[in-house]
Formats: sequence, structure tokens, C-alpha cells
Amino acid sequence: MEQEVIESEMVLPTHLSFKKIQMYEKYPKGQARGRHWKHLKQIIQAENYQNYPADEPNYVNIESPPSMHPRKQICDITGFEGPYSDPRTHLRYANTEVFKVIRSLPNEYVQRYLALRNAAVVLK
Amino acid sequence: MPFISQTQRQSDYNLIPASCPIVIDNGASYFRIGWAGESEPRIIFRNIVQRPRHKITGETVTIVGDHDPALLKYFDCTRSGPRSAFDNDVVFQFEIMEYILDFAFDRLGADESPINHPILITECACNPVQSRSKMAELLFETYGVPSIAFGVDAAFSYKYNQKLGICDRDGLAICSGFSTSHVIPFINGEPVYEACCRTNVGGYHVTDYLKQLLSLKYPHHMARLTWEKVEDLKMEHCYITLDYASEVRLFQKGGKEAEEKTRCWQLPWTPTPVEEPPSEEEIARKAALREKHGQRLREMAEAKRSSKINELENELKGLEFLIQQLRHVNGNDIPSFLAETGYISKQEIESAIVKVTQSLRKAKGEQDEIEEKQDPSATEKYTLIDIPDNMLTPEQIKEKKRQLFLKTTSEGRQRAKQKRFEEELERERRNKEDEQRRLENPELYMEQLRIKYNDLSEKVEQRKRQKTNGNNHGNENNNVSGGVGRGERLNAAQKERMRLLTTAAFDRGKGEDTFGIKDEDWQLYKKMSKDNDDEDEGPNEDEAELTRVASRLREIDPTFFPKSEASSSGSEPPRFRPLTQEDFQILIGVERFRCPEILFHPNLIGIEQAGLDEMAGVSMQRLKSRAQRLDLEEEVIGITNSVLITGGSCLYPGMSERLEAGIRMMRPCGTPIRILKASDAVLDTWRGAASFASTMHFSRQVFNKMDYYEKGEDWLRQYQLKYTF
Repeated sequence: MEQEVIESEMVLPTHLSFKKIQMYEKYPKGQARGRHWKHLKQIIQAENYQNYPADEPNYVNIESPPSMHPRKQICDITGFEGPYSDPRTHLRYANTEVFKVIRSLPNEYVQRYLALRNAAVVLK
Repeated sequence: MPFISQTQRQSDYNLIPASCPIVIDNGASYFRIGWAGESEPRIIFRNIVQRPRHKITGETVTIVGDHDPALLKYFDCTRSGPRSAFDNDVVFQFEIMEYILDFAFDRLGADESPINHPILITECACNPVQSRSKMAELLFETYGVPSIAFGVDAAFSYKYNQKLGICDRDGLAICSGFSTSHVIPFINGEPVYEACCRTNVGGYHVTDYLKQLLSLKYPHHMARLTWEKVEDLKMEHCYITLDYASEVRLFQKGGKEAEEKTRCWQLPWTPTPVEEPPSEEEIARKAALREKHGQRLREMAEAKRSSKINELENELKGLEFLIQQLRHVNGNDIPSFLAETGYISKQEIESAIVKVTQSLRKAKGEQDEIEEKQDPSATEKYTLIDIPDNMLTPEQIKEKKRQLFLKTTSEGRQRAKQKRFEEELERERRNKEDEQRRLENPELYMEQLRIKYNDLSEKVEQRKRQKTNGNNHGNENNNVSGGVGRGERLNAAQKERMRLLTTAAFDRGKGEDTFGIKDEDWQLYKKMSKDNDDEDEGPNEDEAELTRVASRLREIDPTFFPKSEASSSGSEPPRFRPLTQEDFQILIGVERFRCPEILFHPNLIGIEQAGLDEMAGVSMQRLKSRAQRLDLEEEVIGITNSVLITGGSCLYPGMSERLEAGIRMMRPCGTPIRILKASDAVLDTWRGAASFASTMHFSRQVFNKMDYYEKGEDWLRQYQLKYTF
């Protein structure tokens, strides 16, 4: 290791005396252990919230409901108010100039713009 | 800047009594750890872990938090980016959490013995019990912690500001963090989780949105737009507008105001050295050089020509000498004499002489005047033509045939010449007419010409298309008709030929063979032949006309561009343009307020949930229905008199005004609304937790390892900190 790296102590030591179980004991090297954690979705599923009374707050039921306000439609490219939608690319646009731009965009960019508002075509 | 890491190792760990709790604010973006009762956390770092490979030794190392990026050059980070222990605002990856805690305790100065201090650690509202129990397990089993307490970050912040006298016992805490935003109502100083609400939008989404928008706007500078840089841009320039629509209209109009509001980030840029045009001397020198080369080539050609002339002259002399000698030789001796020279007869020698003289003339650059010379003598030459055959000897008949042949060819030549001349005249005449029409009405003329050009080019294009049948390999197919592979399209002519060939092949053996009886049958072979493909010999009429019109247009219309050239130049890469300072500027205009707008309209990034202002309304609605259900006489209306905004994403300028406007729209007229800013939106949570942990009240609310294992999961789910005492 380089001197300046050692001096900055940026690398976490493998043995820490205050720990009861060291990292290398818990996760021995060279041993396949697969995935040993659950994603949030799986955690929520395992919690079985449906078995508890509805008025008891939990991680799922404190989520906000869908918005009641009228949907804001903005131009995907410029951020201006976007009253129009291109039937070919499904991008929203503000005026004819932006329309020209979106028609000249390569598909990759169209998809990236759509992905910004989670409207891109996702092939699974 | 509210976000500054500090990771100096603390030296006073062993001086702190064991009863003093360690306070941890485990936020999704930053991790803060310190001692209860103190006013500032000791250690602050980004809550991320990287596990790159050391470039020289090749070992995988663990790097926690953010470090000097210059030092990362010793590591290969390509295969592992920074990772977080959080999914949304819930800790789910406890291996990463362990690295983070290792680093935090190490920097706090812990050594030798296990961590012998109670721990207060923050979590999100209504943390799933699985995450909570894993965290407790990790702290008990791995670090030997005596006791733990969990608290909600927003609640600590609210309580701290209540202690400072900023907000009331009853109120709303609007806490917008890194990955989520919460609204938590407080009644009698206690958070009411039944009425709280969460939207999964936070600072992460704002930064990501800004990063994506900028990298789509400036694809060339994508590499410069790192997460850290965009985060800085966001904190420095983003603001929240009172009314998005009117603000954006300002930019759409593009007045002076919009210009003032646009921020510009100038990337490092050095002008490329301008290439000096070559000096006069240089040009002269080059011209001289070229001239010299040309001279040498000309000399070489001249030498070659003269040597050839010499050679031919010598040959001619030799032949003439031979002829002269031949005159002196007797008739009988001629064959034996000629045998030595290689010629068979006198005629052959003479024809050789003629040939050599002709090529000599050519070499000397003289005009081939034979034809012209022949012309006057033509009538004399064809003396035998008019005499009937029966009056001539066989030799004369032969001679007559020759003369006839010569005459027809020379006449044909004459006719062609005449025709050419007439065509020339015709063209001249047409040009004159054109010119006249042009002078009469230049615009109309030009318009007509253009229309004609377009029509013609269309026609020619269509023909070409038909010929190749939309196939780019048309040329290949024409040349190698046998090489038409399967699936390759044939053009019309090739198709026709194929049809003929197949019918011819299948006709065989079908009854009587009548082929050849009619004369037309033989035409079949002509149709079948390959040459039939290019049915138009040379450029056809349309093409000729097209070139004529194009050249005419080129003469009189400076804006005219032939289509083929235009299309070919279109496919070329754009011309090289020297890059200017403007090309290295990143302008942030609408993005400044478009990105934080997602906190109020999450649907802009496809999250179908209520925004911050609406969340406050939802929370109050839930509070009301809870009061009805529990038959409580709680004052819901007055709650808006103390709305505290806290969390890193509440630091945007204009936040309180926008929230006030949004909440005012939902509340009855005359409702008191006070939006209060937290004293320090980022650190208040830790401070609140630290002051809470320093009270006597805290020690009654912790649980130890025994409780954890005996009381079970259900108890842990119910576990809730009481914030008031």
C-alpha cells in the first residue's frame, strides 16, 4: 500500500479489537454464501401486514395515497408546460421547435427521456 | 455547506464513562455518530461502502464513506461502485451496515474491549421489524453493546426544535430526507404514527433527475457530471418556485429575467491553437516545387516522344531502303531476297510503310488528315463503282467491292458529321430561346427550370430504383447474374430472363417441338442474353436532359445544389467546427426549479404519490379520522400553526413559501399557518437524539440483550420510544 493511503487510514482494517466476531469469521473467504439479505419488497412481504389491524400504523399503510391534484404535464425536453404528446415517441412537448427536436432524437434518447418519468418501454 | 464529512479519529474514547450513550443518526445519505449530551456529532461521513481492488497488491479492500477522490487512483473501482445499506429508508444489507459501524466505532476511538455504551440509533417511521431486529442482533452479537434504543429521526428533530422554542407541542413535522419524505403530526409532543404519511421522493431523486437531465442535454460532458458534482450543483443552484407555470413561462419567453436566472458552469477549456495560414513565401516555394516537378515530367514525356519518333523514322528508312533495293532485284529472285527480311511480298512492305508513316504522324502530333485529303479525290477514287460488273475482270470486281465499301463508310462518316453539326445548331438555337425566355421573366423561368429539374430527377431516380429494385447491390447483380443467391431480389429484367429460361427449360419434351418455325422464336435468345439487362445504351434521354437542366441551373442560380450532391453531403459527418468556450458551458435554467418540483409533484418522475403540500393535507385528514375513531377532542385545525420543515431536502430557497401556499389552499379560510424552519435541518436530528439520550428518561427506554431474546418479535414490533417526559 502506498504511504499516503496508509496515512489517510481510508482502508478499513480487517481485524478490529472491539468486535466480538470479526468480519472474516462471519463471512469466511472463498466460501460461496449466496445472497443472505432480503430486499425491501421481500421484507415487506414477510412482515405479513395484512394480519394486523388496519388502524395500526406500519411501513406500508403510512404511504401517501395517489395525488388528488390535477396531473402536471410538462415538456419532457425543456420543462415548459407541455400540452401536446407525440403519438410516435409518446414524449410530451411544448411547441413545434421541441417537436422537431424530439423527432430527430435517436430512440435511445427517447427511451431515456421516457425513463425519467418511468414511462419507458421495459422489456422483461 | 451543510454536508461536510469529518472522520478524524477521536482520542478520548477511554475517558468517557461507560454510562454515556453513543448516539447514531443513521441517515440514508449521511451517518453521524457522537456522544450523548454533546452539541455536535464527532464523526460524520457518507453512508456508503466501496469494495475496490488495490491495483498493485490485488487484494479487495473496504473503504467506508467518502474520501479524497485523488487517493482512489490506487484502487480499481470499475467493478464495484459505492453501495448503500439502504433500500428506500430501510436498512436491508447488514453486511454493509457492519462495515459502516466498524468504521464509525473505529474512528470514535474504540479499541480493546467491546463497545460498552448504550446506543441510541435512529430509524425510519414504522421500520419493519425484520430490519429492526437485525440491527439489534448486529449490535448485541458483534459489538457487545449493553443496551439499545431506536428512535425516529423526524421526531428527534421536532423535539429538539420544540426545546429551542421554535415549534409548539402540537404541530406537523415535514421531513424531506434523502430517499423519502415524511409528514408526522405531533399531538401533546408525541408523534402520531397513525396519521403520518410517507412519499418515496427525496434528495436522491432530485439529484438523479438533475443528473439525467443535464447528461441528456449535454451528452458530450456526461463524464463530468458525476454524482458528487451534480449534488453540489443542486445544493448551490436549485430553488423552489411559488408557481411553476408562471416561472417556466418566464423562461419560455426568454427575456432578461430568465437570462439572469440561468446559471452557467464553465468547464475547463483551453482554446485550440489557431492554424496560421501559410505565408506568401511558403506558397511561392510550393508553387515553384510543383512547377519543377511538372517541368521534369514534361521533359520526360518529350524525351520519350522523340525517342519514339526516332525509332519510327529509322524503321521507315529501313523499309524505304528495302523497297529501293527490291527494285534492283529481279522478279525471280524476289522471294529468296524477301525470305531474309521476314516480309512475304512487296505489298506487305508497302502497307508496313503506310502504317509506320501514320504512327509517325501521330507521334509528331500532326493531324490525321488522310480523310480530308481523300475527300477531293473521292470521285476519282471510286472510278469502278458506276461500271456494271459484267464489264469488269474478276480483279476489277474485287477492286470495285473495296471501293464500294470505302465509299459507304466515308459517306456514313460524313452523315454522322452532318448530324452532329445539326445537333449543335439545334442546341444553339434552344439555348438562345432559353436565354430569351430568361430575359423576359427571369423568376418564372427559374421556377420552371427548377420544376423541370425536380421532375426529371424524380424520373431518373425511379428508373434507377426500378432497375435495382430497391436493392443496394444492384450493380453486383447486373454484373454477376449467375451469382444471385437465395433470397436476393432480382430486378425486373433479371426476373423476365429467369422466366424465359424456366419456360424454355420446361417446354422440352412436352409434345412436339415447334421452336424455330416462326422467326420471332429466335428473338428469344436475344431476350435471354445477359446484355439485355442494361437496356439503355449510354445515358438515356432523361438523364441527358437532366444534366443539361442541372448545368443550366448551376449557371443562373447560385442557390442551386444538385440533388445527388446534396444527399451525399448529408450523409457525411458534420464539418469540423472549432470548439468554442460555449461548447464547454453547462447552462442550468429551468432545471434549477424543475428538479426540486418533483417533491411537490412526484408524478413528474413517475411516482404516483402525493407531494409535500398534499401530504400535509393527507396527514391532517388521517388525524381527523383517528380522532373520530378514538372519540378524542383534539384540536386538528390549530396544528398548522406550527409546521416544522426539516431534513436536507427542505433547504431549498422558497420551500416555506411554497408549502405555506400549498397548505393554505387546503385549509379553511382564516386558519393560522406558520411554516417554521428547523434551526439546522441537517444536524437537528442528531442533536435532538443526543440531548434525549443525555436525560434520565433515556435509560428507562432502552432494552438489552436479555429483553431482546426473551420478549420476542412481537414486543419488538410494538417497541416505541416516548419522546416526552
